[in-house]
Amino acid sequence: MAEHTVASFDEDLRQISRLINDMGDLAGSMVGAATRALLETDNALAQRVVSDDAIMDARQRELDDRAITLIAKRQPMADDLRNVVGSIRMAGDLERIGDLAKNIAKRVGAVGISAAPRDLTHSIESMAQLVLIQVQAVIQEYTVGDATALAKLRNDDERIDVKYTSVFRELLTYMMEDPRNITACTHLLFCAKNLERIGDHVTNIAENAYYVLTGTQLPANRPKQDETAMSAPAA
Amino acid sequence: MKPMLSTDLNVADTTVEKAKIEVKGLNFYYGQSKALKDINLSLPERSVTAFIGPSGCGKSTLLRVLNRIYELYPKQRADGQVLLDGKNILDRSQDLNLLRTKIGMVFQKPTPFPMSIYENIAFGVRLYERISKAEMDNRVESALKRAALWNEVKDKLNASGLSLSGGQQQRLCIARTVAVKPEVILLDEPASALDPLSTAKIEELIDELQADYTIVIVTHNMQQAARVSRQTAFMYLGELVEFDRTEKIFTSPREKRTQDYITGRFG
Repeated sequence: MAEHTVASFDEDLRQISRLINDMGDLAGSMVGAATRALLETDNALAQRVVSDDAIMDARQRELDDRAITLIAKRQPMADDLRNVVGSIRMAGDLERIGDLAKNIAKRVGAVGISAAPRDLTHSIESMAQLVLIQVQAVIQEYTVGDATALAKLRNDDERIDVKYTSVFRELLTYMMEDPRNITACTHLLFCAKNLERIGDHVTNIAENAYYVLTGTQLPANRPKQDETAMSAPAA
Repeated sequence: MKPMLSTDLNVADTTVEKAKIEVKGLNFYYGQSKALKDINLSLPERSVTAFIGPSGCGKSTLLRVLNRIYELYPKQRADGQVLLDGKNILDRSQDLNLLRTKIGMVFQKPTPFPMSIYENIAFGVRLYERISKAEMDNRVESALKRAALWNEVKDKLNASGLSLSGGQQQRLCIARTVAVKPEVILLDEPASALDPLSTAKIEELIDELQADYTIVIVTHNMQQAARVSRQTAFMYLGELVEFDRTEKIFTSPREKRTQDYITGRFG
């Protein structure tokens, strides 16, 4: 893309892209750390995720300020307009991913205290892997401008939903087997739900990024596979 | 996504509406130099169409062809067709005075006549119609009301048109245009010499007038084009690069040249 006649306009846009990239990196590291903290009952790591969330919030506020100022000063059009508005929305989703990672981190203590058997966390681990890959990929694909990859990534959320359904059933089974598992499993269930929600935010980001890059919206319908509501009221 | 055909380029998504003006294969020459190259577009009735593009792109020229005002100057000529309700106005047999009552024009600089506010409006009406004093009073009042100027001038209709502010003078010119009951109004940068408040009044007026008139506006102010028009034509070097719904042009134009121009990336 050619540069703007007004060079400072390009600089303003670069600052916004930089913030989106930073927030994307931070979201990836928070989700990764929160999961590891959960699986390894690492309270110090969990604490780091909690404090990282404050950084995430600050980045989002900075991005909002910059984007609003840019709109006021430069009245962006076409791809610039999509870029700025899309960035505001993507930053909102990234900030929510940070919140959800923090929520997982805050449960680390509770799960640990109730001494969950190790095998309870196995299926969550593989679900978290899927989510982490999605979080890391979405901003990367946006940055390189690969709309096709974004469309695919959005559909890949289906795999997370399927995984969530199976984690849900599995944890339910553990609870029925032994009521002493209920506390730990309930916390883990919330963690699984948070991971599933993170997947949804990645989906939103992919949709936004696709629109920013192409100017067209992805079709509204995408495969949905969360079937937990069929076996029990969903969390 | 539907594949783009090169023949689609100049065709707006306005085909379902009745075209007031259809431009077909229009070329325009200033002496030897060709200022418009094979322009094809269709302006729907009772809506606002904006022409945008850098200086010298031909947008004002195109506007000046639509009421043949270019004929005031030597060595300027047009070929092709400009159909007003299906009738070619470039035809030699076209009565120019009649054409200009149907297609009114307002210019960048307000051009009130050096006479009273009342006469500024009555003068044009008298050229085409013989009506009684009472009817004329009504006509002047309704034109001034139409141009959202009545409340500001109703107590000083005999004051000189030149005594008004720039924004008021421009609305007086619009009132003068409206008074002869045109079908199409051409606006050549009508607000570029006005302050933001007067500009807002003109834009509000354009919004109201489109209920009754087909309006074409040339503007350098892209936000203005985005605000007031329903379809936008982007012109460059005498060519019509892209013509589409205004939302489309300003959010996701098809052509790279359009994109570069409206985002401020033009070399």
